[in-house]
Amino acid sequence: MIMAEPASRKASRPADRLAASPAEQPGSVEEMELVKRARRGDLAAYDVLVRRYQERIYATIYHMTSNHEDANDLAQEAFIKAFRALRSFKGGSSFYTWVYRIAVNKTINFLKQRRNKGQMSLDDLDFNAEHDPDLVALVSDKTPRREVGLTELQEKLNAAMQKLSEPHRLVVTLHDVQGLSHEEIAKIMDCNVGTVRSRLFYARQQLQAYLSDYLQ
Amino acid sequence: MSMSQDTENFEQLGRLLKLKRYEQPPPRFFNDFSDQVIARIKRGDRGEENGFIERLLSDAPWVYRIWTAFEARPGLVAAFGVAVCGLLITGAVLSEKTDIQPIALVPGTEAPADTTVEMAKAMAVDHPLLVRPAALEASSTTPIATPQLGGPLLEGLQARPVSFTFPGRN
Repeated sequence: MIMAEPASRKASRPADRLAASPAEQPGSVEEMELVKRARRGDLAAYDVLVRRYQERIYATIYHMTSNHEDANDLAQEAFIKAFRALRSFKGGSSFYTWVYRIAVNKTINFLKQRRNKGQMSLDDLDFNAEHDPDLVALVSDKTPRREVGLTELQEKLNAAMQKLSEPHRLVVTLHDVQGLSHEEIAKIMDCNVGTVRSRLFYARQQLQAYLSDYLQ
Repeated sequence: MSMSQDTENFEQLGRLLKLKRYEQPPPRFFNDFSDQVIARIKRGDRGEENGFIERLLSDAPWVYRIWTAFEARPGLVAAFGVAVCGLLITGAVLSEKTDIQPIALVPGTEAPADTTVEMAKAMAVDHPLLVRPAALEASSTTPIATPQLGGPLLEGLQARPVSFTFPGRN
């Protein structure tokens, strides 16, 4: 399974089982109806919304924390908080953007409290990773440290991600890992697109420096 | 480092970051996730109570923007601090120089030097029920003479010394 990417990118990958139907697109009429029902206390409707976004929300938090247990707790709390706050959801943005923002704020707040105390608890790699040509190339003779395996590379990558500041890590997570557009990220982070681009550039430069041993 | 090298390395970095897409939680994790959320909502769980900062960040997006800007560029914090200090110092200096000019209450008349004090004096002198300060300066050994107040109801009233006799005492 490949997690947490927008439908536009997912559809291009055969391994993905999360392709969304048109009715499931963020901000659709069907989704607004579900939101209205959930606002009236219909938990079945909210269950549909949770199932729709749980993987993306979990993945965002997981990539920010590099810890499965923390990501599980925070994702649950984000959905609970979103349900409690549904009355304040004006519909100015899509439910998808709104719940993302709640999850991101919750995660950043959590990370501020956890600073320097966090330990990584990484999810396992899907076995398909071994067959990904891009990743195979990274651990082949092109890589200076050829002995490094995918699992070690995963640890190094997550350690490097944790060295970034939260805003920079968030931009890399949302764009380079989850494949959101600059515009979507700007809405979620409530900043302009230029800020997203500059943060992304700076974050990539930082990561490149941290991971120089693993890049040619 | 040239731009082409940058681009190439970002491409390699992109390939490396692709690895994170293959990280996945334990099998069947998402089968129960929604059920757990709904169960917690039914139990009345409000999630972790929000701290003040979290509430502020979520309720006031502009605070969040400032916060993230400060985090991304620590130099901004110093600049902001300098600006605040500058404002405080400027305010303090300006407040020392400020000279409030009295304003004439009645058009065409000259404003008194101290309007408040003058008004208080006028009220103390002219009001019939107010005791003149001089009357209160009498010696404690002499009876206080009530000033002659105007008006038919108060005419003839005067304070007199009173002596009390107690039974059993000569």
